Amino acid sequence: MTNNMKGISEWFTTLFKVWRREFRLVFSDLGVMLFFFFLTLMYPVVYTLIYNPETVRDIPIAVVDKSRSPQSRELTRMIDATDGIKVYDYAANLNDARRMQNEHKCYGILEIPSDYAKKLGRSEQAVVTFYSDMGLLLRYRTFMSNLTEVQLALGTKIQHEKINSLGLVGQSASAPIVNNEAFMLGDPTQGFASFIIPGILVLILQQSLILGVTMLGAGSSERRRRNGGTDPMAIPAGPATTIIGKTLCYLVIYMPICIYVLHIVPLMFSLPHIGHLTDYLFFILPMLVASSFLAQALSVFVTERESSMLVIVFTSVVFLFLSGLTWPRYAMNGFWTLVGDMIPATWGVEGFIRLNSNAGTLYEQTRPYTMLWVLSAIYFVAAYLITRYLYPTRKPVPTTVRK
Amino acid sequence: MKRHILIESLSRGFRTLVSRRVYLVCLILVPIAFTLFFINMMDSGLPLKVPSAVVDLDNSELSRNVTRTLAASELVDINDKLESFHEASLKVRGGEIFGFFMIPADFQRKAISGDNPTITYYCNMTYFVPGTLAFKGFKTTAVTTAGGLVQTTLVSNGIPSETAGTLLQPVVIQQQAIGNPWMNYNYYLTNSFVPGIIALMVALVAAYTICEEIKRGSSVEWLRTGGGSMLVALTGKLIPQAVTGIAVGIACQALMFGFNHFPLNCPTWHMVLAMALMVLASQAFAVTVCCLLPNLRFAVSICSLSGILAFSIAAFSFPVEAMYPEIGVFSYILPVRYYFLIYIDQALNGIPLYYSRFYYIALLIFPLVALVGLPRLKKHCAHPIYLP
Repeated sequence: MTNNMKGISEWFTTLFKVWRREFRLVFSDLGVMLFFFFLTLMYPVVYTLIYNPETVRDIPIAVVDKSRSPQSRELTRMIDATDGIKVYDYAANLNDARRMQNEHKCYGILEIPSDYAKKLGRSEQAVVTFYSDMGLLLRYRTFMSNLTEVQLALGTKIQHEKINSLGLVGQSASAPIVNNEAFMLGDPTQGFASFIIPGILVLILQQSLILGVTMLGAGSSERRRRNGGTDPMAIPAGPATTIIGKTLCYLVIYMPICIYVLHIVPLMFSLPHIGHLTDYLFFILPMLVASSFLAQALSVFVTERESSMLVIVFTSVVFLFLSGLTWPRYAMNGFWTLVGDMIPATWGVEGFIRLNSNAGTLYEQTRPYTMLWVLSAIYFVAAYLITRYLYPTRKPVPTTVRK
Repeated sequence: MKRHILIESLSRGFRTLVSRRVYLVCLILVPIAFTLFFINMMDSGLPLKVPSAVVDLDNSELSRNVTRTLAASELVDINDKLESFHEASLKVRGGEIFGFFMIPADFQRKAISGDNPTITYYCNMTYFVPGTLAFKGFKTTAVTTAGGLVQTTLVSNGIPSETAGTLLQPVVIQQQAIGNPWMNYNYYLTNSFVPGIIALMVALVAAYTICEEIKRGSSVEWLRTGGGSMLVALTGKLIPQAVTGIAVGIACQALMFGFNHFPLNCPTWHMVLAMALMVLASQAFAVTVCCLLPNLRFAVSICSLSGILAFSIAAFSFPVEAMYPEIGVFSYILPVRYYFLIYIDQALNGIPLYYSRFYYIALLIFPLVALVGLPRLKKHCAHPIYLP
């Protein structure tokens, strides 16, 4: 019994030593501090500043008005008055308008046919054509929603005039029989920053942690190369103790960072931010644990400090897409869904967005939360096997140490 | 004699490139794997059939009819008929559905007696694309339902059915999506993110191989191989990488435009030229960074920071003119921005080359800027100091 107690207390002492040594290594390494602190401090702000204008306003278009009637001018005025579209200029014909578009002065062309007013007068359907540049889908989307609004508003107005002029008085003339109303959840303004930033915040946490940890790992393997296979800075401890001790160190460092990234940044920019801080922190904990284990397993591929950037940086884009933020996960095939399942940030992004923007509660995020702990277990085993079998066992510290 | 020096430098550059697996992985494997990943993942073009639900509180003949219309839409996949708003919002928060359509109680009775019932629909916009598609599907159904009822009322009031039909929609604004009428996300995203990755990897490898000479102290020998000329030494180092990068870039273009028939409305060489110039410009960008900060860690950090930010600042999704000007101005120092603009003009819109001339010229300016910094780089190469 006492033996057991002694063993446990020794284990904790070693764990504490690993934890303390890792702290020293982090705070004596400018490169790692750059990833852990500078990156997490600056990137959320920079990204939010890029997207902070949220919506696109006053996209210039050219108008080819072949009707030149009060009705066609009214249509043009209504389109100009929308917040998304601005009439840049009138063009004499479609060719002139196309030249304006080719010179990048406008991104759309409205062509009003010569019989526009005539058709309206005859109670026939008038068809107006809008040509949209497809370079950016956000512009097309803005065009689409604004033009649909104009079409509905103008349609209702003409409808009322016509029905009244026909002498029909009744409910059909005063209001539509069935109303409809749309509610946008999570991002009521449909702004771009409110949509993408919550996901990016979580991704920044994971990527900065992986970059920093792989750089620490590479530093250790550089020291091993210089000192004949052993790292003089490593505490002699079992693989499990080492992995857990290091992870505890990163968790302590990341707690204030998480409060800043997940709580203060959304407050700073008034992004959607519903839900409780405690929920976020409890939720993000397994993601950090899983990322830390994953990074320690990945360290085997990174043998030189700077090459961590070469190997890790581009994965941010891959992880962003695998998380389903841009292309939803239900539309991915089984293979990519599975690959996405293996990335902590996929679940982190999913759960955090729902906690942060959709006012979800922690118990509603059971699936991502469980998956994050499952990933933690998987990556712990992976990191354990790699540390145990790929790195040579630690010998006593040599007397001449080259750092 | 001069030719001898150049060949010597080139073969040294080639040996550096093949000396480590990580360079070849970054320069060849990553861009091609990335292209395949994108093309394969977004194979369907549009993520149709958004998981959604209907909350039918009426359960009348009319409301079931509306539900059937909605279920027939390709935009949404009605996989649930729920009992209450609460249940539906729980499913939204749990991520099972991206939106729901709600038919109020007494819908049919109110619609027939002229009591103006309101159909409501809720779309989860925290995921933009499915949210928007669900919105489109819901709105179309709601509007056509209302339209059908109005038409019935008008006809029953004695208006000819053709007149009633046009009265529903007196003005139609037909939208023609030029170049991508399918709204294919694969065409849209792959064409911007793949060059972004190529530019990132090319710049990273260039900066890494240059500054590693300084870190290892071998830069003196590198400079000597180039006959003491920084320009010759750099050419020798970068040309093998440029050839590899351009070949990989063209291979990625072949995967997109050739094998997968992405829209290519211009002569092929317009895009090939753009790719070649972008690769050279990205290398020049890396050289400029190395001139300013001749330290492996800093140079590679700057290249990766800017390369990752490029995906946002180069305005692949959010337009530059909508950004704050102080932020938007940075898009013009990124080579991939010009490639993207050329792609829109040439491959997507197929307009005359004349209109894109400045973008090609801009890509040519990057190497000239890099030339200015060479003396500074040379000084550091001659006296390498490594700061860990």
